[in-house]
Amino acid sequence: MTGRVCRGCGGTDIELDAARGDAVCTGCGSVLEDNIIVSEVQFVESSGGGSAAVGQFVSLDGAGKTPTLGGGFHVNLGKESRAQTLQNGRRHIHHLGNQLQLNQHCLDTAFNFFKMAVSKHLTRGRRMAHVTAACLYLVCRTEGTPHMLLDLSDLLQVNVYVLGKTFLLLARELCINAPAIDPCLYIPRFAHLLEFGEKNHEVSMTALRLLQRMKRDWMHTGRRPSGLCGAALLVAARMHDFRRTVKEVISVVKVCESTLRKRLTEFEDTPTSQLTIDEFMKIDLEEECDPPSYTAGQRKLRMKQLEQVLSKQLEEVEGEISTYQDAIEIELENSRPKAKGALASLTKDGSVEDTTSSLLGEEDTEDEELEAAASHLNKDFYRELLGSNTPGSSEAAGGPEVGSRPPALESLLGPLPTAASLGISDSIRECISSQSRDPDTSGDGELDLSGIDDLEIDRYILNESEARVKAELWMKENAEYLREQREKEARIAKEKELGIYKEHKPKKSCKRREPIQASTAGEAIEKMLEQKKISSKINYSVLRDLNSMGSASPRGEDSRPEDRASARKLSRRRTPASRNGADPVTSLGKRLRPLVSTQPAKKAAVGEALLQSPPALGAEPVRPAAVLVESGPVSYHPDEEADEEDPDEEDGEPCVSALQMMGGSDYGCDGDDDEGY
Amino acid sequence: MDADSDVALDILITNVVCVFRTRCHLNLRKIALEGANVIYKRDVGKVLMKLRKPRITATIWSSGKIICTGATSEEEAKFGARRLARSLQKLGFQVIFTDFKVVNVLAVCNMPFEIRLPEFTKNNRPHASYEPELHPAVCYRIKSLRATLQIFSTGSITVTGPNVKAVATAVEQIYPFVFESRKEIL
Repeated sequence: MTGRVCRGCGGTDIELDAARGDAVCTGCGSVLEDNIIVSEVQFVESSGGGSAAVGQFVSLDGAGKTPTLGGGFHVNLGKESRAQTLQNGRRHIHHLGNQLQLNQHCLDTAFNFFKMAVSKHLTRGRRMAHVTAACLYLVCRTEGTPHMLLDLSDLLQVNVYVLGKTFLLLARELCINAPAIDPCLYIPRFAHLLEFGEKNHEVSMTALRLLQRMKRDWMHTGRRPSGLCGAALLVAARMHDFRRTVKEVISVVKVCESTLRKRLTEFEDTPTSQLTIDEFMKIDLEEECDPPSYTAGQRKLRMKQLEQVLSKQLEEVEGEISTYQDAIEIELENSRPKAKGALASLTKDGSVEDTTSSLLGEEDTEDEELEAAASHLNKDFYRELLGSNTPGSSEAAGGPEVGSRPPALESLLGPLPTAASLGISDSIRECISSQSRDPDTSGDGELDLSGIDDLEIDRYILNESEARVKAELWMKENAEYLREQREKEARIAKEKELGIYKEHKPKKSCKRREPIQASTAGEAIEKMLEQKKISSKINYSVLRDLNSMGSASPRGEDSRPEDRASARKLSRRRTPASRNGADPVTSLGKRLRPLVSTQPAKKAAVGEALLQSPPALGAEPVRPAAVLVESGPVSYHPDEEADEEDPDEEDGEPCVSALQMMGGSDYGCDGDDDEGY
Repeated sequence: MDADSDVALDILITNVVCVFRTRCHLNLRKIALEGANVIYKRDVGKVLMKLRKPRITATIWSSGKIICTGATSEEEAKFGARRLARSLQKLGFQVIFTDFKVVNVLAVCNMPFEIRLPEFTKNNRPHASYEPELHPAVCYRIKSLRATLQIFSTGSITVTGPNVKAVATAVEQIYPFVFESRKEIL
């Protein structure tokens, strides 16, 4: 059959019987191989008439069930906790993934991420749901599927930022560099949800084009992709004569209405928005816009400057506020360098080199710029912007600016002063207060601890009558709390009296243990045991004496098992003492005192008798007691323990101490002891 | 704009947080009842005290630990802390001013150009993370300085660090990177 050769006759005609599982040479009849493992699928017929494959499925993720007998309940009994965690995670991922309509490949990848997270212990202290969701989102990002973190947080009913935190941590710890989000991904998905019917493709194409344009105009950096998509889709829908309200779009893209409106106004602000539909489809504008927030910031800055200039000019007109002049001069001085930098960045063509020019020159350049900028702007946006500015001052300064032509500025100076002075006096006050603060701090800075202005500090502290009033008020306000407090104290005092008060143990401060320093291994073990009590059942003093002990303790070397046992019992009880003293007799006597208290005179003899003189035992009055008492355990101890302890006893002490460790001092019959007498 | 370094960067420190100890227990109720500038949060077990000159807010715990926030320089923070200690002394506590430490400094800094965040993130991968779904800024961590920078597309950068020096160094370190991915002027 194969190229095999029979070992017996050298023939090549070998028959392989799969059913029996052996290979036989047809030439000589020798069995070359038997019990071959069969790699065939077998089927059995079930009682219902159907057939089923024989065998068992073993799942891919290892840890699957080993063939067990009578499975059923206790399914998870034999599994490791890790495997269980993985299984739960897998189930969770599948559940979530199916809701998001992710494909199997994504789910598998997500599960692999999860496995990595588990092996790095990143699941600890986090909810399983959060971790699995983060894994799934990680996959969405790496695979570029149109899912947002918001979708996951929607499904799980968890705050998106909580998920985001988990996601970021996972991405960082697992060293996965998720590519930056491209808002274009979401367009088809949202377009589908908005139901454009046949024109779906066209609308989404237009939206994509819009989005590209927005990207070039710096609208997408730092913004949520969904908001941009919403704006683009809304515009695209309108371009294709679909009636989609802002509300509809909002419900699909899940952003706030004002966010969407802001995106729209920002888009309105770009030169692209001035084009007609046809133009837009054909023309690609060359220039790029500054980020909207940047331009807005610049505008605000310029407005502030203008305000200051205005206020300065107003001063000249109005005598009342001339007293503030100095302060503003200083303020202007202060703000000069900042303005310089900002202006420098604005004047891209570098036409304005001398920013150190006089105030008037600066104003001129500003006005030119303003003119240029204002040509892009429409009034609505401006008003909105003004609204967001400080209400008082912006009204004053913004008024002339909406007109925003240099001549208007001068002409306005006449009629405006009263209204402007109202608004500006606010800002001036601000300036002054901020300035009056600064020099003071620098002035007082040199003072040292004792030299602090005590008078001023005194003012922070109430005088007696004030304090009394405040105390009264506070007491009244917190009367209930105080009463509760008193009651609590009273209760505690009462409990203390009764002795049932349980004091809350202060949290054990987990101070770091000093590293164990020991010269020998034994010492080290001893110290370690001392530090962390492994078990309360262990008699540590015995352990400590393990090595230092010689043959000091009595060993039952008698041939009589009974006596040996009793001796051992006794010695067991007094081991701590006998360890130290080399004299077993005295210590034994000491231990026995409660037992023999009626015959104090004889105690030494008893000790000796017990230890050494089996024949004399009978004569001693106490001996029967001891024997009697021990008889219970003795009956089985000699049987089983004598056997196992014989070898132990040869090497001396450990046998006793081991027993001691096992049983403690009250092994069998201490209670009996007492009753015996 | 020319890419030269003659543009001086203004680092504006907006907040300095410092802590110190008084080495004595403080009776919060006494502070609350005798001070004019305090808020007693009984359920949390702390007193907020505000000072002017320097304008700081201090959180006072009964253990004697005090956290001061709101100063705009390290010296100012120390001065404010000392003044606070003095006013506690005046309230009758045996205050010893120890363990003064600046723990956190927050500063802002404006770059004179805009920054391409996606590109910047791509170039500085392990340190920078940009999630517009969560936050509009790139978060950039400098582990050695223990400083974190929030970099916005407009070019403004918010820096937090353990002290003023670290903040300044962080800005210095980040400058070449953000300069690399600044918006080109056509």
